[in-house]
Amino acid sequence: MEQPVLELRDISKNFGMTRALAHMSISLFPGEVHAVVGENGAGKSTMIKIMTGIYPPSSGALQVDGTTVTISGPHMAREKGIVAIYQEPMVFPDLDVAENIFISSTREGLIQNPARLRHKARQLLARVGISLDVERIASGLTLAEQQAVEIARALSQDVRVLIMDEPTASLSAHEAAQLRRIATKLAEDGVSVVYISHRLEEVFDIAHRVTVIRDGEHISTRPVSEVTSDGMISEMVGREFESLFEKSPSVARPEVILEVKDLAVDEIFSGVSFDLHYGEVLCMAGLVGARRTDIGLALFGIHPAGSGTVSFKGKPLVITSAAQAMKAGIAYVSEDRRKFGLAMPMPIRENITLATLGEFLSRWGLVKRKKEVEVAETFKKRLNIRTPDIEMAVGMLSGGNQQKVMLAKWLNMKPDLLIFDEPTRGVDVGAKAEVHDLIREFVAAGGAAIVISSDLPEVLAMGDRILVMREGRQMGILTHEEATQENIMALATGQTSTREVA
Amino acid sequence: MGHLFSRISPQTLRILALVFVLAAIIFFFSTQVPNYLNGRLFNRISSSVAIMALIATGQTLVILTRNIDLSIGSIVGFTAFATGSLISANPDMAAPLLVLYAMVVGAAFGAVNGILVAYVKIPAIIVTLATMALFRSALVEFSNAKSITSSELPLWLVNFPNTVLLKFGQFQLRAGFAAALVVVLLVHFALARFRPARRFYAVGSNPEAAEMAGINAKATVFAAFVFAGALAGLAGFMFLARFGNITVVAGLGFELKSVAAAVLGGVNIFGGSGTVIGAFIGAILVDLIDTSLVRWELVSEFSREAVLGALILVSVTADAVLMRRLIGLRANREKKLARAAINAQNRSPEVSTPKQAGETST
Repeated sequence: MEQPVLELRDISKNFGMTRALAHMSISLFPGEVHAVVGENGAGKSTMIKIMTGIYPPSSGALQVDGTTVTISGPHMAREKGIVAIYQEPMVFPDLDVAENIFISSTREGLIQNPARLRHKARQLLARVGISLDVERIASGLTLAEQQAVEIARALSQDVRVLIMDEPTASLSAHEAAQLRRIATKLAEDGVSVVYISHRLEEVFDIAHRVTVIRDGEHISTRPVSEVTSDGMISEMVGREFESLFEKSPSVARPEVILEVKDLAVDEIFSGVSFDLHYGEVLCMAGLVGARRTDIGLALFGIHPAGSGTVSFKGKPLVITSAAQAMKAGIAYVSEDRRKFGLAMPMPIRENITLATLGEFLSRWGLVKRKKEVEVAETFKKRLNIRTPDIEMAVGMLSGGNQQKVMLAKWLNMKPDLLIFDEPTRGVDVGAKAEVHDLIREFVAAGGAAIVISSDLPEVLAMGDRILVMREGRQMGILTHEEATQENIMALATGQTSTREVA
Repeated sequence: MGHLFSRISPQTLRILALVFVLAAIIFFFSTQVPNYLNGRLFNRISSSVAIMALIATGQTLVILTRNIDLSIGSIVGFTAFATGSLISANPDMAAPLLVLYAMVVGAAFGAVNGILVAYVKIPAIIVTLATMALFRSALVEFSNAKSITSSELPLWLVNFPNTVLLKFGQFQLRAGFAAALVVVLLVHFALARFRPARRFYAVGSNPEAAEMAGINAKATVFAAFVFAGALAGLAGFMFLARFGNITVVAGLGFELKSVAAAVLGGVNIFGGSGTVIGAFIGAILVDLIDTSLVRWELVSEFSREAVLGALILVSVTADAVLMRRLIGLRANREKKLARAAINAQNRSPEVSTPKQAGETST
């Protein structure tokens, strides 16, 4: 049997009273893509942080090439060839691509030679299989390009174990496929790749072995050929799991709530026309850069439309600000929780009442704390937000629970139209189903929803109709009966026109 | 023109713009102040820039790491006094030792700031606001409220800054300015090419990423403060040599001027980008405005500060607006190019696409 590059033996990690990892053992071999799956909070990130020396383990041993070692920090992990790249790439926005790759390299001399650096950077990027201007400043790079830079940085130091934590969560399908190719190629070169993903189809695509972890414990490690999707999911959640991908029947009513005609924002998107019925869920599908979010932002008045007409609840409406959209009954839940969604250091209670604070003011303009608490507690129960206390900072919650807080904030506005942008990005399987149920409940109660999603199974599970965008143009609207993953992708990538599909 | 924009880096462009502003200001004052534009102006400005350039350089190092050093003026004052009293007590002391003493004292003060900011994790603005007052009080305590006068200093020291190295007509290259220029160029080269110094940029650009990339961010921030302190110490030495008379208010207000110089010179106040050459030109700009206003009869002594403040605000605002425009312009150009490339790629398989959006809704 081959020697593992890196081996965790019976590792546990406690944070105060909580146990993040319990007796975790895992072996990583050179040349394999090893997928690690588990719900959010299962202990994946703790495991990565132990591998890369950010946390010391509470007990157990770490072995590199069969010898027990103590990794005291990221710097030392790098020296041993263990590198992690994350969903949010770690680049230096003010430095150019070449320098980003070599900034922490110990091999380059003390005096930098920009020409040589660029030359070497080009070689590394070629090995990654991406062409990129190495003199460009990193601040303008797309997420996928930034990840390529990070991978090149890892390669510059003879990476032996490359840990990829949810690398494709924010990438378009095309970019994600490219990244998976890179991962496969690195494994062929003898690197041990640890691949962490919520997208199970990716796991089947590239992994050689799959490890499932749950509640900080190792559940199973199997060759991918012995794993099924359902089996994996039930191991992850620890119970038999009814299929996520089943579409519940439509509750759409004949009355139209929103009618959009020829909506356009200069140079961003144009010619968007659709109508939305009460009780209906309209999904917007497309690749990254299809400009779906921009439609949401236009309807919510953040970037008002330049031309086109909108009629809402039977009356024409020109939306020019978010305040106006909210007043009309439109809510928009952003895809970027950190930036546009939540005030991370503030407690759950204050986040939930933030968008509707006007309702919580007493006669003297002071916030009625008691009413806030009542509303927050109600939503905590209704949305099943898992937290010991509504006074906890939102930043401390898991992704799924943060998503629910954000949803609570907008539901409290009692909107008629909910625009939900990437509702389950970075959310684990269990919470995903809960968020889906909440959206269904919302439309069943008479609202209408636009769900923007890059996750095709989600689009198929949620959408009564599916509007497909590509590079700022509406490619077509499919009914749920017509839609398949294949024909949505065909439209999104511009391989077919609507007529052929219909 | 468009071609030019895409070639020159924003930093170079900024420096060109600064030089242009510098020329415009000189032109403006030459129309307002009689007998303004001559060699004496150059000599006067270059003498005071010798001090300002050093602290602007120190301040740049700190700002690059996303911090700020408000105590820099107090460090200048303290080291000027300490160096002065050392040399007046030991008149035979060798010059290099005296310079070293000034820099070590400055670095020690910088280390206090550095420890509190990098390791105790207190925001730099709080730490240095406090140490600004503390170091100044230390000076008052240390000096016993007495002053140093040039009569107590050896002649070589007093003569040093005004020693003329080269002369072109009225224009004199004086030793003080030359020394400061050498230091500025050295630091500039180090920041541009010296590998460990590039970490100042990395840490200021993205502290989290720096830590993840195995860069010791704490040590980097600490080093920035220590170097800034040492440069302030050197500036203190120059201050002593130039003025000879040191009181407890020596270097008062330098912290703001150094920040102004750095920011005018294009150093991003949020860290991560900027050059020492830029800060150097910024220092010249601040000094030029300062010195010229004294000679402008239209402006009273009391409104001088206000004019200086307004000019700084205007130039920084103009800079921010112009830069944003420029970057937007470039991004659009790139986008257009990319789109053209995509269109060229797609033209063959789908000629009829632009129409389809409309068809679906009917």
